[in-house]
Amino acid sequence: MLEIRDLHAAYGRSAALHGVSLSVGPGEVVCLVGRNGVGKTSTLRAVVQELIQVTGGAVLLDGASLAGLPPHQVIRRGIGYVPEDRRVFASLTVAENLRVPVAPARGAAARWTLGAVYGLFPQLREYRGRVAGVMSGGEQQMLSIARSLLTNPRLLLLDEPHEGLAPRVVDEIIAALLALKREGVSMLISEQSVRTIKACADRVYVIDKGVTVYHGTPAEFEANPEVARRYLMVAEQGG
Amino acid sequence: MRPAESSGAVQWRLVVPAVLGALALLATLGQGAALVITDVLIMVLFASSLNLLTSYGGMVSFGHAAYFGLGAYGLALPLAKLGLPLWAGLALGPLAAALGALAIGALCVRLTHIYFAMLTLACSEIVFTILFQAYDYTGGDTGITKFMAPRLGLDPRLYGALVLAIVSACLLLLWKVVRSPIGLAIRAVGEEPHRAAALGYSPRMVQLVAFVIAGTLAGVAGTLFAVYQGNAFPDYAGIGFTIDALVMVVIGGLHSFAGGVYGAVIYTLLKTFVSRYVTEWELVIGLILLAVVLVSPAGVAGGLGRLGHALGRRSA
Repeated sequence: MLEIRDLHAAYGRSAALHGVSLSVGPGEVVCLVGRNGVGKTSTLRAVVQELIQVTGGAVLLDGASLAGLPPHQVIRRGIGYVPEDRRVFASLTVAENLRVPVAPARGAAARWTLGAVYGLFPQLREYRGRVAGVMSGGEQQMLSIARSLLTNPRLLLLDEPHEGLAPRVVDEIIAALLALKREGVSMLISEQSVRTIKACADRVYVIDKGVTVYHGTPAEFEANPEVARRYLMVAEQGG
Repeated sequence: MRPAESSGAVQWRLVVPAVLGALALLATLGQGAALVITDVLIMVLFASSLNLLTSYGGMVSFGHAAYFGLGAYGLALPLAKLGLPLWAGLALGPLAAALGALAIGALCVRLTHIYFAMLTLACSEIVFTILFQAYDYTGGDTGITKFMAPRLGLDPRLYGALVLAIVSACLLLLWKVVRSPIGLAIRAVGEEPHRAAALGYSPRMVQLVAFVIAGTLAGVAGTLFAVYQGNAFPDYAGIGFTIDALVMVVIGGLHSFAGGVYGAVIYTLLKTFVSRYVTEWELVIGLILLAVVLVSPAGVAGGLGRLGHALGRRSA
């Protein structure tokens, strides 16, 4: 479904990605793991062409290149993007936030309706009249995911969906991701915690210094503690 | 933190008394006051049109008077030079503003922030210069005069009532636009353009739509103003009118629908009455602006909102 081949990308003149290759199949949940600043966010941004310039390689959705498309066109081809900092429309209410996404293209099955996302996140229905800016981080994350679902994406990109959230809230988000997985939504999730990987990943890619360096199933990843130590743990002093 | 305006319903309990109050003032205060009230009403529409860009669209235009001026000349030129009937001029004024906003907006929305503001300024200066220099067509700084009787020859009170009706209708339309799906898109792009793009919108396209709506309504105000004065001068498209509108929006309250209304009422009345007694009336305006920015950055609308909250809490 999504295929990234030897992707190079840069912010202006400073290069961020030097060779990222990965793929996400239909209905598959793929985790992209790595330390802070190694290119997880940049990889997702390069797919939706936001804030970053692709300088080499290819991003293909169902075999068609996304190169040169403006972000809103990438979204309209069926990719949903939930950014790291959530970025709900703070002055709009929850219900208004959910009215913003463009309706899916004609002929496309609208699996995700307002009722469906309220079913996934019942809190949002409860708080629908509330201004989004005053909600908790977890509620904003749910709103951000719900908002993206309403574009009815075939592939959802999630950038560290649990960052800065309380453990109880993380459980709720993971439960929602599992529900999405059961619905057959393909996902590419950038992640630092092993918890999500265990809970819902089909495959894992490890990225380091802008290059994908490892690829395997969660079981293989767990059976190979050397990889986690090298690329996930905080670097040793002087190392 | 921006104040919430979640309720989509028109607040008739505010609108009806305001409209009836303006009508009562028009009926009772005499012709001189009617002229001032009409001036205020036209500025209410002009400032509110700019407010759509600043408060909802996240765009600060330094050239909004261009569309006010195009509205005036769109009426005056066809009547004076082509001898077209009045109704055609009344339609062509806002149309000229809309087309001008479409052409200029398409250029300006390619940039953001200060660069956007500078482009709008440059474009409005071009409009001003054309009106000022194309002497054979526009009469240059002598403007276009005597093409129609000021106020359609109506009694000032009657023309005031007509302007009140048109401005009220335009503001209701603007309110509906802000609450509509395209209005939501305008607010979303104004707040987080990248996120709006990630939900399938082209931020530039949404901004252009907002720019054309704002320009068209400014054009309606300009046309009403040209009818009111019975003339059209290049100044109507000049930086002075732009700054007036910006000051009105800031005094009235950024991020509030009523900001343009409050600001236009306060600013126009101050300009009219303070200037009768104090030659340095701009100094007074300057001090007020200073006080607003320092004391209540959300302007009069924000201050009133906070006052209402405080009173509500006390009585509860």
